Amino acid sequence: MASRKESVSVSTSGMASTGGTLDSPVKQIQIEGLVVLKIIKHYQEEGQGSEVVQGVLLGLVVDDRLEITNCFPFPQHTEDDADFDEVQYQMEMMRSLRHVNIDHLHVGWYQSTYYGSFVSRALLDSQFSYQHAIEESVVLIYDPIKTAQGSLSLKAYRLTPKLMEICKEKDFTPEGLKKANIGFEHMFEEVPIVIKNSHLINVLLWELEDKSTVADKHELLNLSSSNHLEKSLQLLMDRVDDMSQDIVKYNTYSRNLSKQQQQKHQYLQRRQQENAQRQSRGEPPLPEEDINKMFKPPQPPPRMDTLLIAGQINNYCQNVKEFTSQNLGKLFMAEALQGHN
Amino acid sequence: MSRFFATGSDSESEESSSADEITPKAPGTTFKQSLLLSDDEEDTKRVVRSAKDKRFEELTNLIKTIRNAMKIRDMAKCLEEFEQLCRAFLKSKNIVDKEGVPPFYIRLLADLEDYLNQLWEDKEGKKKMNKNNAKALSTLRQKIRKYNRDYETEIAAYKENPQESADEEEEKEPEDSGASSESEAEDGDEGVSAKAFLKKKPEAAPEASKFLKSAKGSGDESTSSDEDDDEDWGSDTVDSGSESSDEGEGKSASLAVVFLKKTHDADKSSEKKLGKKKKPKKKERLEEEAEEEGGEEVEGGWEKVKGGVPLVKEKPKMFAKGTEINTAVVVKKLNEILQARGKKGTDRAAQIELLHALAAIAAENNLGQGILVKIKFNIIASLYDYNPNLAAFMKADMWKKCLDCIDELLDILFENNNIFIGENIAEDSENLGVSDQPFRVRGCVLTLVERMDEEFTKIMQNTDPHSQEYVDNLKDEGRVCGIIDRLLTYLENKGSTEEICRVYLRRIMHTYYKFDYKAHRRSLGLQGESKSEQDQEESEGEDSAVIMDRLCKFIYAKDRTDRIRTCAILCHIYHHALHSRWYQARDLMLMSHLQDNIQHADPPVQILYNRTMVQLGICAFRQGMIKDAHNALLDIQSSGRAKELLGQGLLMRNMQERNAEQEKIEKRRQVPFHMHINLELLECVYLVSAMLLEIPYMAAHEFDARRRMISKQFHHQLRVGERQPLLGPPESMREHVVAASKAMKMGDWRTCHSFIINEKMNSKVWDLFPETQRVREMLVRKIQEESLRTYLFTYSSVYDSISMETLSEMFELEIPTVHSIISKMIINEELMASLDQPTQTVVMHRTEPTSLQNMALQLAEKLGSLVENNERVFDLKQGVYGGYFNRDQKGSYQQKQQGYQRGGYRNQNQGNY
Repeated sequence: MASRKESVSVSTSGMASTGGTLDSPVKQIQIEGLVVLKIIKHYQEEGQGSEVVQGVLLGLVVDDRLEITNCFPFPQHTEDDADFDEVQYQMEMMRSLRHVNIDHLHVGWYQSTYYGSFVSRALLDSQFSYQHAIEESVVLIYDPIKTAQGSLSLKAYRLTPKLMEICKEKDFTPEGLKKANIGFEHMFEEVPIVIKNSHLINVLLWELEDKSTVADKHELLNLSSSNHLEKSLQLLMDRVDDMSQDIVKYNTYSRNLSKQQQQKHQYLQRRQQENAQRQSRGEPPLPEEDINKMFKPPQPPPRMDTLLIAGQINNYCQNVKEFTSQNLGKLFMAEALQGHN
Repeated sequence: MSRFFATGSDSESEESSSADEITPKAPGTTFKQSLLLSDDEEDTKRVVRSAKDKRFEELTNLIKTIRNAMKIRDMAKCLEEFEQLCRAFLKSKNIVDKEGVPPFYIRLLADLEDYLNQLWEDKEGKKKMNKNNAKALSTLRQKIRKYNRDYETEIAAYKENPQESADEEEEKEPEDSGASSESEAEDGDEGVSAKAFLKKKPEAAPEASKFLKSAKGSGDESTSSDEDDDEDWGSDTVDSGSESSDEGEGKSASLAVVFLKKTHDADKSSEKKLGKKKKPKKKERLEEEAEEEGGEEVEGGWEKVKGGVPLVKEKPKMFAKGTEINTAVVVKKLNEILQARGKKGTDRAAQIELLHALAAIAAENNLGQGILVKIKFNIIASLYDYNPNLAAFMKADMWKKCLDCIDELLDILFENNNIFIGENIAEDSENLGVSDQPFRVRGCVLTLVERMDEEFTKIMQNTDPHSQEYVDNLKDEGRVCGIIDRLLTYLENKGSTEEICRVYLRRIMHTYYKFDYKAHRRSLGLQGESKSEQDQEESEGEDSAVIMDRLCKFIYAKDRTDRIRTCAILCHIYHHALHSRWYQARDLMLMSHLQDNIQHADPPVQILYNRTMVQLGICAFRQGMIKDAHNALLDIQSSGRAKELLGQGLLMRNMQERNAEQEKIEKRRQVPFHMHINLELLECVYLVSAMLLEIPYMAAHEFDARRRMISKQFHHQLRVGERQPLLGPPESMREHVVAASKAMKMGDWRTCHSFIINEKMNSKVWDLFPETQRVREMLVRKIQEESLRTYLFTYSSVYDSISMETLSEMFELEIPTVHSIISKMIINEELMASLDQPTQTVVMHRTEPTSLQNMALQLAEKLGSLVENNERVFDLKQGVYGGYFNRDQKGSYQQKQQGYQRGGYRNQNQGNY
């Protein structure tokens, strides 16, 4: 870790299309090294396995750049302190931090992830409420497992304006989503991150790099891979199962809908014929009835979850792709090395 | 009396008040005189009067009930009774025409109308009434209005001088209030208690005379009807009646007499109530009435005094002294006795006695075997009749008597070749007398024996199987078999094929479930332990297998009813299976095609079928056909209701689903305990076969995404075992099997063996087999083989190559066996390996996918289904033909996928590593 350059510009490969660059108020994020270290430390000390740690980001906005200068963690929830007031805690923390002259503008939150599984309803909801209240808010996703393998993984996401609108209207029906013309690719936008350190720290890092051993430096050349892949595949499979279920649900829905449509159509035709006959006989036409009452349309399944699952699958796939391509490179390298020796 | 009316006090007061209303305009006495007068008239002409009295008594009885109902304001009852009254009155029309409308009838009509009007007015009371009653009230009111129109004059006359009730009121007043129901006592004094009689004694003369009249009415009735041949009984009643009224005044009436009378009357009234419909019939056969009446008395609880009076009387009279006893007379007497059969009051024990006596007389007088056979038939029939309820079982001693009788009957039949018996010999074409012609007797000895056999089953069903009694009863089975055997030989000579089939089936039913130890020993070539036993063996005759074969084949050839043949086939299969003749049993089962249509059979046959299947499965297990055993037992075991399906007990949980009636029926279907199949053995056999099949299968398909289960039950047991928080050493049979399965999963056959075959399991299960040792050896062998397979499945990925010698040492199998097992696995593509002959090793091909590859395969499969589902959605949107892929493309996609699974990865892997 000591070998990290002062500014790691994390590639935007994860969420390839940053659809919202045009009108987003935040084009770039600058993170203090301190924040990164604090987040890493928080997970190291609090999180284990698939547990997730969360915290609040503090900073300020400069032009279209969001600077994150500090953060503080949320305590882990345990069952005994059910009456723990999060808002109260946040307010007090911020007030206390202000007393020691730290930026106290709330600019988002961070969360750790387990093998890249973070696209969930909970994340969506809380990011929505953040972004709704403070427009510039971002969520930082920290992947400890990847980090442990030698490459710091920290990504910043924001909801696209489209998704914001949908969430505001709370319209998750198939029609609503269709009208909004939103796909899983357009749900989140990734914001590029720059990590900034003070010059003194940069100097220290340079010095440390010279001193560190070769083994430390080349941690990322580790060849063992199957464990990580297996885990990813497992998770991917679970999502795929969920997806299948959702599709089946949707399928039955649409079949029911079309069946009903047919019935409705038949009914209307019959009614029309009857009315025509009546007219020819000089009788008054039958009274209009509320057709929607007779044919209650089936409850459409909410599609937001499906969308999220698709996003998550996409995320996994990207992860796996990235991982395998790196690994293949490593393998070729190792082969070449062996041949060379 | 006060007790009786305590509950209805309010209605009673109402009653008296209604009477009060009438009281003021009731001075005259003419009515009473006319009543007395009519009484006198009746005395003179008796015969006519008996009919009339009967009618009138019926009416009075009804009236009494109506009055009672009125008192408790039960309108529904009132209406019902009133309708009956009208009917009864209509019936006695001709008498009424002769005698005029009886005054009590008019009185009731009037009272009822008043009462109803009063009720009608009482708005509040009406509101309180429940719906049923209110409805009945209105109907009744309308009815009585209409009805009373016909009797307007009479009612008017009655209303003018209702002196009767007035008199009563006056008499009652000095007494206690309880006497207010005097009117009721008059109408039908039957219901009056003894106390009432005593209390009434000091009453005034007119009252007494009235009373006398009614008492005489009932007394006369019984006298006239009983007179014909039961003089003393009838007069006794009369005496008691008159005594209670006459001597009662002198306070010297013996309580007993009063009681006697009272209960008699009560009985009769209840009987009349019940048997109203019987009335016309009774009239037709007055001469029978005496006997019946006597019988009903017995039922009333007076057995000690009068029980069997007619019979006792008859007995000495069986044949008058000096009568020449010949066949005709005896037959007549027999018919006489039989007439009483089935009637309500007949003392069955006495009847049997009588028949025995008759048989003795017949024998004494050398009337020939014909009549004796006839009487014997009837004795046996009466013995069966002894228990009126079909569901109840016979007493063991009765049944034994029955056995004796049948034995004797068969003796006679065997001795006398010239007796023809048959069900279809008409009563009048019987030839019982001694003559040159052969005897012809109606009756069917086969039916009797069948009934006897059924009773035996019933007795066994109803005896506690763990008691000495059961053993004692079971000892009689030998006698039953003996009788059936004798009947069999008899019918073989004389009976029709149909009868022979039936008796053969009986014989088969008594044979099929018994293990033939003698034949077994003989087949093993063992000599009997001692000389005497060997002798006995030789004298015992043919093997049960031979007998079964002969009997069943006869039935197959000759039987025309499907049921007997089905039963015979099943029993035959069962017998084969029991004696480990697996192939015969299986072939017979397959040839019979019973599996296809057994669900149409009746429950007992289905139970037999289930028993047979189970026995077949156990037989297959003994022979080492594990798969067949599992399949045969699967149906019975998977339901979890083996006990019920085999007819070996009722399940508790069904209690609420069935009512008592169903339960009784089901109980009757139960198989007697000595024929039970051990359920634990059954379950153990099933579980062990499931284990031997399932464990290697599980090991082979560990990574299969969609693996199916061979046996759900076995899995259930495994799960139960896993759920245990603390695993002690196994106790029950199931725990043993689960522990063994776990050991086998690891390929540890020694542990598995020690769990399956040990002291506990031996005593619980394996020792129940006749060839214990052989079965155990088979089992060990199977465990070794299957453990080897499991081991190879589970650990093949660890080995590059493994020597067969090592394997044979590990599993204590001969090298050729190991070789054959491995070859089989290779051929079936279960094991990716090849055999290296010179070094005797198995070389693994390492083609089993790694876990990551497995995962990828699973993922691919899932994605395939996802795509399919997605397409379906798309189809719906686009119509069927506008699919994303068109049809054949889709097919090829799937094929490609399969191909990938089969061979693709293998090549890939070999290339890479």
